[in-house]
Amino acid sequence: MTASAATPATMEIAPGTPPLVLLKGICKYFPGVIANKDVDLDVMPGEIHALLGENGAGKSTLMNILTGIYQPDAGEIIIDGYARTFASPVEAIASGIGMVHQHFKLVKAFTVAENIHLGWDETPKRISAQALEARTADLAKALNLAVRPQARVGDLSTGEQQRVEILRVLTRNARVLILDEPTAVLTPAEAHELFKALKEFVSRGNAVIFISHKLDEVLEISDRITVLRGGRKVTTELTKDCSQKMLARLMVGHDIVLSNLRARGPNAAPVSTAPVMRLRSVSARNGDGNTVLKGISLDIHAGEILGIAGVAGNGQKELSQVLTGMRPAASGEIVVGGKDFSGAGAAEFAAFGVGHIPEDRLYSGLAPALSVTDNAVIREYMKPPVSAGRFFRPRAAIGLARQIAEAASVMVPDFGMPVRNLSGGNQQRLVARREMRIADKVLIAAYPSRGLDVGAINTMMRYFVELRDLGVGVILISEELEELLNLSDRIAVMFHGEIMGIAETGSASIEDIGLMMGGQRGGFAAASTAEA
Amino acid sequence: MSVRVQRFPSAPPSAALAARVVAIVLALLVAGIILAGTGASPLKLAGQVIKATFGSSFGLEDVGLLVTPLILTGLSVAVAQRIGAWNIGGEGQFYAGAFAATGVALFIPGPSIVMLPLMFVAGAIGGALWILIPTLARAYADVNELITTLLLNFVATLLVYWVATGPWLDPGGQALATTARLPHDIPEFWGIVHWGFPLAVVITILVAAVLAFTRWGYEVRIAGSNPQAAKYAGMPFRRHLILVMLLSGAIAGIAGMFEVAGTVHRLQGGISNNFGYLGIMVAVLARGSALGVLAGAALMGIILNSGIILQTQGLNVSTVLAITGLILFFTAIGDELAHYRIIRTEPAKA
Repeated sequence: MTASAATPATMEIAPGTPPLVLLKGICKYFPGVIANKDVDLDVMPGEIHALLGENGAGKSTLMNILTGIYQPDAGEIIIDGYARTFASPVEAIASGIGMVHQHFKLVKAFTVAENIHLGWDETPKRISAQALEARTADLAKALNLAVRPQARVGDLSTGEQQRVEILRVLTRNARVLILDEPTAVLTPAEAHELFKALKEFVSRGNAVIFISHKLDEVLEISDRITVLRGGRKVTTELTKDCSQKMLARLMVGHDIVLSNLRARGPNAAPVSTAPVMRLRSVSARNGDGNTVLKGISLDIHAGEILGIAGVAGNGQKELSQVLTGMRPAASGEIVVGGKDFSGAGAAEFAAFGVGHIPEDRLYSGLAPALSVTDNAVIREYMKPPVSAGRFFRPRAAIGLARQIAEAASVMVPDFGMPVRNLSGGNQQRLVARREMRIADKVLIAAYPSRGLDVGAINTMMRYFVELRDLGVGVILISEELEELLNLSDRIAVMFHGEIMGIAETGSASIEDIGLMMGGQRGGFAAASTAEA
Repeated sequence: MSVRVQRFPSAPPSAALAARVVAIVLALLVAGIILAGTGASPLKLAGQVIKATFGSSFGLEDVGLLVTPLILTGLSVAVAQRIGAWNIGGEGQFYAGAFAATGVALFIPGPSIVMLPLMFVAGAIGGALWILIPTLARAYADVNELITTLLLNFVATLLVYWVATGPWLDPGGQALATTARLPHDIPEFWGIVHWGFPLAVVITILVAAVLAFTRWGYEVRIAGSNPQAAKYAGMPFRRHLILVMLLSGAIAGIAGMFEVAGTVHRLQGGISNNFGYLGIMVAVLARGSALGVLAGAALMGIILNSGIILQTQGLNVSTVLAITGLILFFTAIGDELAHYRIIRTEPAKA
């Protein structure tokens, strides 16, 4: 956090200048849920205003109201001093309110220039591709956002795609830019670039509303912070008066200990001397035939948590798939519990005690349209009591589902309802508990805290500690360095499909790990090969 | 107190049923108004339909004959949906099943007690073979089965027209454009309704039970809903896809065998009566539930039979199709509206 970041809110604003956005007494009800109740919010010109809250605190609903996706049940929206009602997002954009969603709304097969001009009434009726690209380049230059107009969006990195999305909103003359969890998909360097662009944008008298539940980045980027909890506003504070601890407390309503979880209790299982899982020079290809894992050698011991750090997209996903039998290794050797698993499939890994919390639970860990029961038993349907021989017993399945939901402390009103109706945090807890039941040797958790709030992340971390203390080897793939440092005994860093080095958490510095994430081979590499 | 209308992700069964009933009544009402506008008397027509359908066992027997193939073609589509595939080729598989059963009946001599089961098996294999290419293309090359199954319908239709008017034309010369009468009939079960009807019901219950109460059925459910989840759990998605699609084709083929050996007794062009396509509507009405297919087929059978009666009253076939369309249209709207409920919220403070 720099001093300059904390002050511009108060920059040369003439007294009496109306807030760019003023929300008064906004209420929004869904059946059985108060999504927003009496929420007031004011956003001044030149301000980056952070909106902080747990999952389900009402951040998204509030922004959906401001952007015209929902209509409020009560309350007023005042833009630049004038009361407005937005029947649709189109009207909100016309009033200068633009939003960049977590999931980009771009056409992947189109070029950047085409995406920028799509559905825009200022797009000339007839124009050549070159002219369109030139126009885009001019716009990008004027708004100070570097994009490549002729590139196909599908070929861009997530950070670049986000920039295109922002440019798209800004070209519509947005004065208020709303960003929903913008850094969740970015590398630290890309996030830094984004922050620079945002500061530049507000310095011209515009405003940014920044939705997040990452405390450190909120403290870094924002001028003021509004905290929502249970659909109500808790407070709005100047960022310079806030600390991480205080914000966490405001968000969840009580103190949360996000601290060193590496310490073991007296009853914890010791770290085994022999590895429970061994990888030797494992390589793997992705669907396009490119080698995305190159000569990975790793040892995972029972009773330890091995962290895998690295910028997302450096082979972590493929590694988690190879470790669970979902993707065959092109070469190399995988040994689990002394048995060769090099050619084994996902079912064999699971049956042997390898659990897997996948990167995107709705994409592969769950069948969203099926019932909670069907999803809960996906790891144990083939054995008693859920199955008897070839037969599937629905009643026994519900019994097991109930047991898993209880362990996960998830309230399920109806086990027959589609699992997608549960909140993201509850889905993740359910998946985690389901996997913990079968993971008696190894658990592979890929980005388990993605999209979760502080409370749910904390629960997730305690689950891993519980498993570790039971003598299970846990592999935690994460992009949150803090999480890795708090939890793992050793941290391996991945870059371009290779392990740059493995550091003992106690003696590693964040700088060393950061350098390895950037592609420098660590001094620990020798140690890791010696272990082999 | 403020009152609002809210969409819920799932519709309670009572609301879904009520919406269905209201939809059908509304569709008939609209049809009645239009008919009245053309000078017909809707009440009189309705009376005729009800009397002719439910007033005697003959009417119900007619409905039973129509429902039998509809159950199976509807089940065929519903089964394929379980694995996430759209089998639009029920029509072609129906023809292929009827063709194979006829071939066996005409060219292999034997007593009916042996030949009928043989024809049943031939019908199933014929239907399964007709979906084999779309199945393999989908499983190994990811070719959309919706298009391949649809296009093969035309091939099967023309194939049957050709054999019925050419190589297999009745040598007795009595009838034009059909094969000779088959030497084996499916025995009658009730009036003119043959044993195909109870068999179709039993097959449906059996398939529903296998899907609900076996490990295989569970795996099909997961794989059909999210292939990635099946991969994650190590389930053989491709194997399940192939087996379920072949089963879907076989069921439609059995429908063709029942029709030719139980109802029509000769293979001829147009024997399918659009049962293959109507099966899609039955499956949609059944909302993908195997047992719901029985109710969907019954409704569709009554509609079809009413159509035949209305034609005898001087209405043309397009009018009848339009009424069928109206019912489906209103049902689709009703199904969606069943998700909405009126809720009361506490007063909002401004």
